[in-house]
Amino acid sequence: MEELIEILEELQPDVDYETVDDLVDGRYLDSLTILSLISEIEDAFDVEIPTVEIIPANFNSAAKIWELIERLQEED
Amino acid sequence: MSFFNPVFAFVFVPLVVIIYNLFPKKLRAYVLLAISLLFFAFVSKWLILYLILSIVSVYLSGIGMQKLEEKKKEVLKTAEKEEKKAIKESYKKKRKFVLVLCIIFNVTFLFMFKYFNFFAVNLNLLMDYFKVGHQITIVKHIGPIGISFYTLEALSYVLDIYYGKIEADKNILRVALYLAFFPQLLEGPFARYSDTAEALYAGKKVTFESFTFGYQRILYGFAKKLIIADRLNIIVKSVFEDFNIYNGLTVFIGIASYTIMLYMEFSGTIDIVIGIGEMFGVKIPENFKQPFFAKNVSDFWTRWHISLGLWFKDYIFYPVSLSKSMKSLTSKAKKKLGNHYGPLLSGSVALLCVWLLNGLWHGAGWHYIFFGLYHFFMILMGNIFEPSVAKTCEKLKIDRRKKGYRIFQAVKTTILVFIGELFFRAPSLTVAFAMFGRMFNAASFRTGELLTFGMDIRDYVVLMIGLIGMFVMSIVREKGVDVRENISKKNIWTRWAIYYGLILLILIFGAYGQGYVPVDPIYADF
Repeated sequence: MEELIEILEELQPDVDYETVDDLVDGRYLDSLTILSLISEIEDAFDVEIPTVEIIPANFNSAAKIWELIERLQEED
Repeated sequence: MSFFNPVFAFVFVPLVVIIYNLFPKKLRAYVLLAISLLFFAFVSKWLILYLILSIVSVYLSGIGMQKLEEKKKEVLKTAEKEEKKAIKESYKKKRKFVLVLCIIFNVTFLFMFKYFNFFAVNLNLLMDYFKVGHQITIVKHIGPIGISFYTLEALSYVLDIYYGKIEADKNILRVALYLAFFPQLLEGPFARYSDTAEALYAGKKVTFESFTFGYQRILYGFAKKLIIADRLNIIVKSVFEDFNIYNGLTVFIGIASYTIMLYMEFSGTIDIVIGIGEMFGVKIPENFKQPFFAKNVSDFWTRWHISLGLWFKDYIFYPVSLSKSMKSLTSKAKKKLGNHYGPLLSGSVALLCVWLLNGLWHGAGWHYIFFGLYHFFMILMGNIFEPSVAKTCEKLKIDRRKKGYRIFQAVKTTILVFIGELFFRAPSLTVAFAMFGRMFNAASFRTGELLTFGMDIRDYVVLMIGLIGMFVMSIVREKGVDVRENISKKNIWTRWAIYYGLILLILIFGAYGQGYVPVDPIYADF
């Protein structure tokens, strides 16, 4: 989780990732940042994020992104 | 056919509700489907055949993909570990084959009705230029109404099954009702199968509360159209038909009026669609979210025609930008160019595909393609210069979250959108550029010109009050206040006073009768 927060902070500072739960709906993360984030996550956690998983519900908070990573790692 | 036709809104809709409620719950979905198909046949006659073929094709493709998925799971149960990857790949290919076949089948209809002549005319020009002695015959034909809307909705159904978001529906009537629900046929919005199919099929009784709640939204749509759009239409028609006789500022007013008129007409239609959905207990997704408060062009398109933007984002932008080759490009570029410019390259390729298709979706013409490319360029520029703007603001100690800066962003975006919509509305690229130039070449203004369109001072006063009213409503909604929920909490007297007030406003200040030409349903042509 800490590594994920580090990635997020590097991509988009000035956001409190512990509390914000509308990263996509609140437009903290735009499409390009999401592309960057996906690439970082795939490299760091050795998972492949399918297009179908790129929905606001999976990216609205650091906790939700972490849940997605764990789920994808289990499925692998 | 317009939803603003009083016969549709105040005779047809209540009649549908009565007939629907007369049937037992189990049969209501079928009644709604029969009415929807009759409605389509009434508007597009025998072309209903294409809607039916489209429904059957996506239904069968969905079932086909589902069966392949089930078979794959069964085979995997007994397969050796080393075989599993190959089995998965083989079934993925089969599913993809079914998907592509279905897409080709549906897009071919769309192409033949909407784009064939455009490509034929341009190919003929090209063949002429290269002195090829062959010409493609131009065929005149009228396509089924709303074909661009239901084709994309139909494709979203099979794409969602392919991506594993939903399971194929075994009931063809539920698929048919989802695709053919009559209010959504003309101008959308695109709903996903998971948004509306279940609720439509549930056959929920239309209660007095849902009926009046739906009409509240419908009346709001009528107010936008009759009080504002139909008045702006007078300005728009005059300026676009004869822009050469007007001064620069008047031409600008005409151009600005077009975008606002388009918003009032289109969002007003969507209000009617959502209102009818509410009557039947169906939550149709919102299509607009205060677009004129957008901070940039990219943000604008997340607030305007939202369902179209989401369709392109889900089925074009991410699949293209996250394809294997683009992912590897992003990964390499990120190491050299950093986190912002790294993904910009693959993102821009995907964005170009999105906006070319977006332009073409709106119509077969070079000005629509230019309209798409214009937005691509504006969004691209925004992405390129974002870090520089952020740095400059930091140096100048400008807080980008402050109200003053947000207003500046909204005004800048709105003007850029006005220009984009000019290319959308103008009959050709040449006219659009000439109108654009006219704004600067004849940059003087005579107030008297505004009174030559056929609108008197009273019309302008009503228009201004209407616009201010809508602007205030937008501010309130932007602040997150749910006006309708607040109204529903009021006592019955206040609620009905508001309803009657709205009806009276429309009756007194609506632009109908002699001298007014109602706006044609602009998006229904797509």
